[in-house]
Amino acid sequence: MNEILSQEKSIYIQIKEMIENDILRDILLEEERVPSTNELAKAYSINPATAAKGVNLLVDEDILYKKRGIGMFVRTGAKKKIVEKRKKNFYDDYVKRLMAEAASLGITREELIMMIQEDGAEGNPYAKENNKAAG
Amino acid sequence: MSKIVASGIVKRYGEKEVLHGIDLELEQGKIYGLIGRNGAGKTTLLSILSSQNPATEGAVTVEVSPDDAKPDDWQGKSSSAGNGSNIVKMRPRSAVVREPVWENPKALSHLCFSRELNQMVGNSANTMKVKEYLKIASLFLPHWDQKMADHLVAEFGLDTKKKISKLSKGMLSMVTIVVALASGAEFTFLDEPVAGLDVVAREKFYQLLLEEFTETGRTFVISTHIIEEAADIFEEVILLDEGKILLKENLEELLERAWCVSGREDEVDRATAGYTQHHAERLGRSKSVTILEPKQGEVRENEQTDRLEPKPDGAGESRQMDWQADTDMECSQSGGQPGFTRGNADVETPLRPDGTQRQNAASIQMRFARDAAVTVQKVSLQKLFVALCGEEH
Repeated sequence: MNEILSQEKSIYIQIKEMIENDILRDILLEEERVPSTNELAKAYSINPATAAKGVNLLVDEDILYKKRGIGMFVRTGAKKKIVEKRKKNFYDDYVKRLMAEAASLGITREELIMMIQEDGAEGNPYAKENNKAAG
Repeated sequence: MSKIVASGIVKRYGEKEVLHGIDLELEQGKIYGLIGRNGAGKTTLLSILSSQNPATEGAVTVEVSPDDAKPDDWQGKSSSAGNGSNIVKMRPRSAVVREPVWENPKALSHLCFSRELNQMVGNSANTMKVKEYLKIASLFLPHWDQKMADHLVAEFGLDTKKKISKLSKGMLSMVTIVVALASGAEFTFLDEPVAGLDVVAREKFYQLLLEEFTETGRTFVISTHIIEEAADIFEEVILLDEGKILLKENLEELLERAWCVSGREDEVDRATAGYTQHHAERLGRSKSVTILEPKQGEVRENEQTDRLEPKPDGAGESRQMDWQADTDMECSQSGGQPGFTRGNADVETPLRPDGTQRQNAASIQMRFARDAAVTVQKVSLQKLFVALCGEEH
């Protein structure tokens, strides 16, 4: 939970995603207590009501649960749930945007597939090809 | 005391009317941000809310529970009989009592307005040492917390032996902050508390304020010009413009209906048709405008039917269809919330599980976003403020 808040997104959404990230990265373990809204408020200098809004979204998704008088805890199976949810959103969150940008640059579907296939092997294949063409 | 209610507040200084009929409710347990340009009437409003200044017209009242109002009436007796709490719960809401604040020592004991100190005015405070000023504050504020005052003085590194007249602008602000936080008052008003403070001291102030707020749930109303920095600590924002309240709204909800749309001028105009364009800026062929969605249930400004834009609110089929088309992307944008019914034809203004009203704004953002010709971005409170109040009147 040491990320910096950005202006791009609502703060409560960012708080929610930060907790999710910490669960994904095993910084917060299942059945472990998550920071209280007051702790979050002080850590990020935000209003506690905003922090609570983010935490409550995770309660609604059954990723966190409340132990009366003690605080919020990570539900067993939370990590799996977050992975599944993000996988489901992966197409919308990343692929659609990738394709839109590719389309506006005139990169074809085949070129795009090639880039993905060769990724990690020899750097940026598209740049390589361009250099070849230029040379 | 659960609420401060100001109704129809007008303030005139001689011929000049500074506040034109302010209606305002301040609930307990919130941090309010009061923003407005120089001369908008912020200080006057705060001084009237705290009864340091009489209103020309209108009144400020506090809502108190009946037990508080008259401790020895029948309610008090039944509570001594041991079942008081049940009676409190059963009492209808209409039973709250409103009392005027003006010359009401009991109500005033719960209020603190820590004014900006002014060294130019030749009044008594200037010749005092910081120590003496704090001593006097402690005598006037019945809920004063001396331990906290000492703690804050140490935190800020204030030299209490210095005379007020010898303090720098930042140190003066520190003194007003110490008074406000140590006052222990249920409703505390701070007038530009961070003016002149360096960035480290400002951060410290926000931290100390949040610490006090999370521990006690006291209500704070803070006026400031350093909007960007302070915005995150506000729950609600009150925007004062030329003596009138332009907005009073939950900050998150406000920012969720504010968008900056940019792109080629004709595309921006097409995409934002029907909305009031605030703060239009042009650079060559490009244009950027700030628009504010209507609140849920409100009718859009300049209501008009046009081919390209389904009405965002209360509009039957065109919106519903658009909504269905957008839901997939919309859902991913908001982090994907389950249990939220989509495209339900008889739900005109559906609510998310958390009770917020984001779909409307989000669907509009996504409609714009699908429209590759324009860029839609979130707007910060500062940008929105400039867009709304920065225009020539």
